[in-house]
Amino acid sequence: MSDALRFEWMRLRTLRSTYWLLGVGLVASALIAVLITLVVNVVGGEEAPMDEMLAFALNGGAAFGIPFMAVCMAIIGIFATGHEWRHGTIQPTLTALPQRSRLILAKVLVVSATAVVATVVSLLINLGIVFVFWGEAPGLLDDPLNQALPGYVVYTLIYTLVGLGLGLLFRGVPLALVVIFLVPLILEGLISGLAMVPALDWLVPVVKFLPFSAGAQLMSTSTFEGEPVVDFDLFSRWAAGGVFAVFAAIILGVAWYLFKKRDA
Amino acid sequence: MITAKGLYKRYRNTVAVDHLSFDVKPGVVTGFLGPNGSGKSTTMRLMLGLDYGGGETLFDGQAFDSIRRPMNEVGALLEAKPFHPTRSARNHLRMLAAANRISDARVDEVMEFVGLGEVRRKKPKGYSLGMAQRLGLAQALLGDPKILLLDEPTNGLDPHGIHWMRDVLKRLASEGRTIFVSSHLLSEMQLMADELVVIGRGTMIFNGDVATFVREFTQSTVVVRGPEVAGLSAALEAAGASVAAGPTGELVVSDLELDKVGHLAFTEGVELHELSSRSASLEEAFMSATGSSEQFVAQEPVQPIAQEGGTADE
Repeated sequence: MSDALRFEWMRLRTLRSTYWLLGVGLVASALIAVLITLVVNVVGGEEAPMDEMLAFALNGGAAFGIPFMAVCMAIIGIFATGHEWRHGTIQPTLTALPQRSRLILAKVLVVSATAVVATVVSLLINLGIVFVFWGEAPGLLDDPLNQALPGYVVYTLIYTLVGLGLGLLFRGVPLALVVIFLVPLILEGLISGLAMVPALDWLVPVVKFLPFSAGAQLMSTSTFEGEPVVDFDLFSRWAAGGVFAVFAAIILGVAWYLFKKRDA
Repeated sequence: MITAKGLYKRYRNTVAVDHLSFDVKPGVVTGFLGPNGSGKSTTMRLMLGLDYGGGETLFDGQAFDSIRRPMNEVGALLEAKPFHPTRSARNHLRMLAAANRISDARVDEVMEFVGLGEVRRKKPKGYSLGMAQRLGLAQALLGDPKILLLDEPTNGLDPHGIHWMRDVLKRLASEGRTIFVSSHLLSEMQLMADELVVIGRGTMIFNGDVATFVREFTQSTVVVRGPEVAGLSAALEAAGASVAAGPTGELVVSDLELDKVGHLAFTEGVELHELSSRSASLEEAFMSATGSSEQFVAQEPVQPIAQEGGTADE
């Protein structure tokens, strides 16, 4: 297994796009942190609780529905598998490392570790930004941040594994990219929106099972105050995370099974 | 030593590889011949477990996917450009080397050996097909393996490169390694291979040494040329020969020896401008052997009259 891990680590760090995507993810998240802390400084924190603003700043706006780190890490995941077919490297890869499950496990471990470390680094950078502009980080170690921030790391990790699974499932990059952008950013929003139309209220029970939306619950910092338009009866933080994790596991499991079974 | 037993691959309604069994011996170059689309690449992919099908292949007694750090045992070159375009050639090899505990020093050594030392930090997207083939050979040689499987390694190489590849493979074989190299360039195989595995439409046509292949699949013919040779046909056929008209009016006579054809021309009083025997080259033997199984003609037809032993037209 150590040979496979060495291979995958070498593969990942000899790819220019790895550095680009890490850089874009870290910088974009940091810019969101700068933006949020500055806006709060200017207009004051009365409009929203400071701990919620702090969470938004630290996770780089991921809880707003713009998860830069998660998307960049998911693309690294897609490249980890999809590139093998896009550039035909699966042939030399399998002649250097013919044990297919070992190869995929190594990819999962190395890419997961990269995603977790990068997300934690991003959190630390953003925390530094918060200290620079606010001089403090109110509620950092209290509920709900003590769960929402680890939740953000878990969210990014699962998002990354969905990407890796899609690259392996579609054996290429373009279709996996389309799915990873289209489903969370458009399709799930559309279904949630349509569920609010009275004639389509049969969609309501579906909403809590929408994987990326459920995953976003991992990062939630507050319960909605006031009467919601439609009560989607969403799962709690970790149960919703479980929905997202099961979705990732299904994609990765099917892709892994097919990879073991199909011609390379 | 490679032992392939009952290799079989089916794509929907097409049988691509039909129960192929053969041995590839160490110490010689074994050519793997077949027309385009005859199943050579599929066979090699089956052997390495890249494609799934029937049968098994053992490399010195081991299945490929059970070999730990396989590049140290079996080197393979299958596709022309299986590289990420922006990862440097050296890093591509370092990546594969990492899975097989091969040092960076060895990576640099093989890159020098294949003549890519100066461009080793360049990206393969800027490589010509010939350079890509050299990188592919470097990849195959990385672990200094005892067995090499190379699919059309001379594709895209210039004449100098082909000559070099031929010498390299012969030298590697003389060191006792097992070399299995596919090609549709028959003249190339004639100069390089000692043994042949010839397939057509996925089935075995011949497995043995080159001389036997030529002997088995060719017959010597006699070419008779002259102003009135058509008049000689009846007499030749009466003597038991098969006679065909050549493209420029000459007669191509089989099943009758040269001196008997000459004697017959003398007794019939037919003026001759040419009376020569023609023995087939490997290329013709190949055409004869795979003629009915060919999907695409791999090369131009050979000259009507070839010198014994054929010519290398590379």
